[in-house]
Amino acid sequence: MYNCSLAYNILINIKTSKCFCGKCDSVTRRIIMTDKAIVMKNVSKEFKVLNRHEGLKGSLRDLFSRDYKSIMAVNNVSLTVDKGEIVGYLGPNGAGKSTTIKMMTGVLEPSSGEILVNGLVPYRERTKNSESIGVVFGQRSQLWWALPLIESFKLLRDIYLIPQKDYDDMLDLYRSLVDIEPIINKPVRQMSLGQRTLSDILAAFLHNPGIVFLDEPTIGLDVSMKSRIRDLIKGLNEVKGTTVILTTHDMGDVDALCRRIVIIDDGQKIYDNDIDHLKTYFGSYRTLKMRLSDDTWIEKEIDESRTDVMQEILSAQKEKGVRDIRLEEISTEEVIRKIYEGEKSA
Amino acid sequence: MTNIRKLTALTRAGIIEALQFRLGTIVTLLGNLIYLALVYYLWKAIYASSGMDVVNGMTFYDTMIYLVLATAMFNLLEVFVIWDMSRSIQSGEIIMHLLKPMRYRLYTFWSYSGSHVISFFLTFLPTFVLVFIITKGAIPLGMNLVYFVLSLILALMINYNVEMLVAPICLYTESTWGVNIVKETIVLLLSGATIPLSFFPEGIRKVVEYLPFRAIYDIPLSILLGKAGKSSIGSVGGCLCIQIFWIVLLSIFGNLFWNRAVKKITVNGG
Repeated sequence: MYNCSLAYNILINIKTSKCFCGKCDSVTRRIIMTDKAIVMKNVSKEFKVLNRHEGLKGSLRDLFSRDYKSIMAVNNVSLTVDKGEIVGYLGPNGAGKSTTIKMMTGVLEPSSGEILVNGLVPYRERTKNSESIGVVFGQRSQLWWALPLIESFKLLRDIYLIPQKDYDDMLDLYRSLVDIEPIINKPVRQMSLGQRTLSDILAAFLHNPGIVFLDEPTIGLDVSMKSRIRDLIKGLNEVKGTTVILTTHDMGDVDALCRRIVIIDDGQKIYDNDIDHLKTYFGSYRTLKMRLSDDTWIEKEIDESRTDVMQEILSAQKEKGVRDIRLEEISTEEVIRKIYEGEKSA
Repeated sequence: MTNIRKLTALTRAGIIEALQFRLGTIVTLLGNLIYLALVYYLWKAIYASSGMDVVNGMTFYDTMIYLVLATAMFNLLEVFVIWDMSRSIQSGEIIMHLLKPMRYRLYTFWSYSGSHVISFFLTFLPTFVLVFIITKGAIPLGMNLVYFVLSLILALMINYNVEMLVAPICLYTESTWGVNIVKETIVLLLSGATIPLSFFPEGIRKVVEYLPFRAIYDIPLSILLGKAGKSSIGSVGGCLCIQIFWIVLLSIFGNLFWNRAVKKITVNGG
């Protein structure tokens, strides 16, 4: 039995209730699994890298060097994800997103802290954990290169021991969500990047895993393929209740799919809340655009918690005369950019 | 307990995959013919210069049969575990394999199994039939064939285990080519695949007896040619036991080494 730790206590509550009759003393105990798909507690990951030196002389020196420096890829991150959530896991390049995902899947061992995925410690029981997760790593494929897609699916069906009925149902569900006929008999090596990514996502969901990790799934895809993939992910999440952890740099993905987002930078969690709250992260920003009497547009970013929009319009009206007004919500992309840049300069 | 369905599915996929590359098989057969022509003339010269019909207990005929079949076996046994593993480590592809719901060593072995089946039917069997017809029955037909197939499967497992024992070295050296060449040379020479073991000097032969490589080529071929049970080779049962012994020993060490090596990926990120 896994030794009782803090993280484990979160996952399992033992409820004791007395017998309904009220006369006897019999007590029933029920173990209640709470709806947590992922629990991370103070997780850090430290990499040791050799300090490389420049030039030929430096390279020779490196041969015998013991001069290691350690890099904190992930620094003390705690995170809890409920079952059925779609969480956008964002951060600038090199922030530690992929490292976190790899720790959750079990291919990386955290330096400190605890992770539970579906109640398992992923790096200790990687193979068992793999049965109940699905993974899509942007530029990699888990499909068999030379085989038609349907053969890869059949192989996955057998490897994951999916019952035939569940497998058929899943394929029916796929057919209802996307048009898979053009790709189902095509060898993977002949597919376009979009078709391949689509196939990889279908493959990741095939064994109906509790959690699917999507690491930059829409990277390099055209607009229409992106929207098809978003619809697919959303559909599968709704029908199957799959928890989805999504890392991306495309705010369109985030707007379309995620209610909650987590942002990390330099290995540290800097934001974890609803996407709606994000827009008020720096105060309630809006962009006010005004066309003045000389037919020029001026643009002002307004923080509604500090400045009054009407006041701005009035003062502009007095000075130059306003012909047209437009008020725009700040986009997710802009807020995220502000957060990334703000953290860098801070 | 691993379900047999997982394993046969991998074999099946491997067969389909191998069949996609029909041309490769033809090229392999052609390459073999060139290699065998070379071997033929080389050994012809060796026998001619020795001036004897029987060298080290083998006639020219015996030697040729042995070497032709060894070549066919080489095609059958050839796996690229070392290449594939080092490439997938460098590209990071290996995490996709580590995330399969099967243990990595098992998964890899069965992924290769389909290609073994294909090369058995497309290269080994035709070669065997050809040799049998040309030599007009120099190869005995009987229970030795059954034992041979059994021994061949065991040889396959030993060969795979040797590869799996060597492959993780690439995680430490970061160079594959050298490691692979060294392994290849040692296996081909000490297993009797390039020169029949009876041609080895007495001292070296004694050493080779105690190494696992002999169990890859020499034992199955001796069983096939009906030499097991006679001379110094030992009974068929004894030979199979030696093979099983090596499988167990190599897989224990291979497992230990792999578990250590995989930490290098999971701790340092490859």
